[in-house]
Amino acid sequence: MLPTYASPKKMNRHGYANGHSAYVEKESRTFSISPHRFQPRSQPAYRRRKQLMVRLAIICVCSTIIVMLLFPSLRSAILPSISLGLMSTTETFQLETVRYYDLSNMQGSARGWEREERILLCAPLRDAESHLPMFFSHLRNFTYPHHLIDLAFLVSDSKDRTLEMLSQMLNDVQNDPDPKQPFGEISVIEKDFGQKVNQDVESRHGFAAQASRRKLMAQARNWLLSAALRPTHSWVYWRDADVETAPVTILEDLMRHNKDVIVPNVWRPLPDWLGGEQPYDLNSWQESETALELAETLDEDAVIVEGYAEYATWRPHLAYLRDPYGDPDMEMDIDGVGGVSILSKARVFRAGVHFPAFSFEKHAETEGFGKMAKRMQFSVVGLPHYTIWHLYEPSVDDIRHMEEMEMERIAREKEEKEQAERAKEIKEQFVDTNNQWEKDKADIQNLAGQESENKKAAEDNSQGGTDASQPNQAKAQPDQNAVPA
Amino acid sequence: MVPKGRSFRRSNPVTLLLAALLTLGFLFFILSPSRTGNTTSAAAAKAQHFSAAEHPLSPPTSPFLKQASVPDDQRAPPPVVHYKLDSLTTSSDPVGNRETVHILTPLARFYQGYWDNILNLDYPHDLISLGFIIPKTREGNAATAALQAEIAKTQSGPEKKRFASITILRQDFDPPLQSQDESERHKLENQKARRAAMAQARNSLLFTTLGPSSAWILWLDSDIVETPPTLIQDLARHDKPIIVPNCYQRYYNKDKGAMDVRPYDYNSWVDSGTAQNLASKMGKDDILLEGYSEMATYRTLMAKLADLNGDPSSIMSLDGVGGTALLVKAEVHRDGAMFPPFPFYHLIETEGFARMAKRLNYQSYGLPNYFVYHYNE
Repeated sequence: MLPTYASPKKMNRHGYANGHSAYVEKESRTFSISPHRFQPRSQPAYRRRKQLMVRLAIICVCSTIIVMLLFPSLRSAILPSISLGLMSTTETFQLETVRYYDLSNMQGSARGWEREERILLCAPLRDAESHLPMFFSHLRNFTYPHHLIDLAFLVSDSKDRTLEMLSQMLNDVQNDPDPKQPFGEISVIEKDFGQKVNQDVESRHGFAAQASRRKLMAQARNWLLSAALRPTHSWVYWRDADVETAPVTILEDLMRHNKDVIVPNVWRPLPDWLGGEQPYDLNSWQESETALELAETLDEDAVIVEGYAEYATWRPHLAYLRDPYGDPDMEMDIDGVGGVSILSKARVFRAGVHFPAFSFEKHAETEGFGKMAKRMQFSVVGLPHYTIWHLYEPSVDDIRHMEEMEMERIAREKEEKEQAERAKEIKEQFVDTNNQWEKDKADIQNLAGQESENKKAAEDNSQGGTDASQPNQAKAQPDQNAVPA
Repeated sequence: MVPKGRSFRRSNPVTLLLAALLTLGFLFFILSPSRTGNTTSAAAAKAQHFSAAEHPLSPPTSPFLKQASVPDDQRAPPPVVHYKLDSLTTSSDPVGNRETVHILTPLARFYQGYWDNILNLDYPHDLISLGFIIPKTREGNAATAALQAEIAKTQSGPEKKRFASITILRQDFDPPLQSQDESERHKLENQKARRAAMAQARNSLLFTTLGPSSAWILWLDSDIVETPPTLIQDLARHDKPIIVPNCYQRYYNKDKGAMDVRPYDYNSWVDSGTAQNLASKMGKDDILLEGYSEMATYRTLMAKLADLNGDPSSIMSLDGVGGTALLVKAEVHRDGAMFPPFPFYHLIETEGFARMAKRLNYQSYGLPNYFVYHYNE
């Protein structure tokens, strides 16, 4: 195989080239015209062995190729090792199928942003198109590192453009040139529950609809969570899309308390005629004896809902304990939680706490969640003086009231206008009489003046004619009275 | 040899270079790009690529594309991914509808028999994802190492045997009992704490790995060493939300002098009036347990109803289920049915799960004459 450079002959040829030919020839052989002519010789043993090896190698390579042709599944096992990674450009070789996580690294701590703890932000959406721009402005303003926040949305039973708009806004934020804007994993879950309950404010808050509505909401929340929770999450944050005002540091603020489940106080602003502001979320409360007794009397599937006269529970509500000037870090133990904004450690959900879509200890959804977390000995607290503001959506009553008020206002304005006109008329009339009076006055003065002049003239002319002066004097009398007035 | 060598030497280096290139080209086209000639594996590869996620931040039930050359901070932000859960089906023909099965196993010890058994399942492996949760104990470390060795072998082995995705979790809480000995762990007073921890492990495993694409969940204990290879299809065929086979154990019967089988799992039962009376007299935190003489419940046990030669497709409805092998439609778990680690109607873990599912309007069923076998210590 190999050419003959290695043989001693070749060394000789170099000798010729160096010009020492005569010397070399003299020593070894007689002079020849073609000294390098081929002369068959017996091959040395080592060369025979080498040839054998080469043949064996060729056979090996050929058989490997044939085997790999016949059994393609073997290729992927063998190729990467012999091709030094040159051939592994096909994508299947780059598939990673095994994941390993130690859940004790995902416990959640008070300073999660320093330990790079991941948060799953869950937002159930239904017909929320109008709230999305506001919601995304909140998302973009979060001070918690965005790459540590995974977003999960559940879009269910929406009849408006929620889904299209959501995709658009999510794509925008993920492709934002500012490297601090894009978030972590983004999941949009599409699932319809065939919900018959309307989302408008009236039907949403009617007492009769509450139990079944809340069970459906619970179901939606559970589907969202179970599809989006990953082993990497240390925290789970639930946030409604219709929060109007919240601190941008809310994640850190709630996390700092290092509780298993924590909620802020939720209020809403109101128009002035309704008092300016109002507690909104009445689902965060502490359990009371009355409520426990009430629960005993209800049947297995009943759900106690707060804020309705039908169930008077006399529970202390987080919302009513707010003091606008109170310490925002003050904590209060609660049993039921509201779902507008919940920060919870992921291990709570890992342990199995969820939003019961059935009556759990006579509660469902977020209130049942609080109850279940308590049942598993997790800490559940609320912050009475740390407030976020829910959007004010006028209820049907409010709208009716506002229409009435509007009509009243219009009527009042009309009346005011009429009154003003009447007043003006009266005033005008009054001013007329005054003028008249003034005129009359002036006329009378003129007359009086003339008369006195006439009198003087008459006196000058003659002393007679007293009959005529008598009425003149009588006429001058009111004149004299009028002057000081 | 020598003449060849000579012509070799004489030929132009450019020719040699071209020849070498050509050879390499041939090798490359023959071997690498293609999986030529085997269309099914090509289709499988394509399907797998289709289901693979673009970014490591993705559901654990699907594989993801490695991007080893790109450091994490230079990688593009994760894409917006839509999951249409409306189109997710759970039907009696799971293979035909390409429904994914997520097999979940709380692993205390690794048994080779367990792994060999799931390798032999003839459900398409590219539709199967696996999830394990292992306690952080010395025994758990050993089990993890053994499991990882087997996984490495399988996932680099023949493509048909490879699973779509595998997740290994290490538990974040300590098991209440260090000993896994049969006698110790079945003591009545230890049961509540043991099963509460077990329930919590199951929930951790379930809710972190369920993901948006699983259609079925198969709970399979690490000590189930023998099932029919068609286990998944056979259980799914009944199209029930929760279905459980009968769990037996093979042992050496000294009286007969031959191998025999005996019932193992007593947690699949139909409730009885006696048990309900017992429950009503109990405190809020007490639990009813099956198979203890201190607490005679007179429930109808599926384990006792088995007919070894009976029709394997005969079916019965149940009020409590065991978790050794248990097929559940994912929607049951998604609606919130979990394994209560606290007494729920005086039931705990898998039995409590059946109760909670019932509260969510899902009925459990059992196959008394369809068997899976437990490891015998």
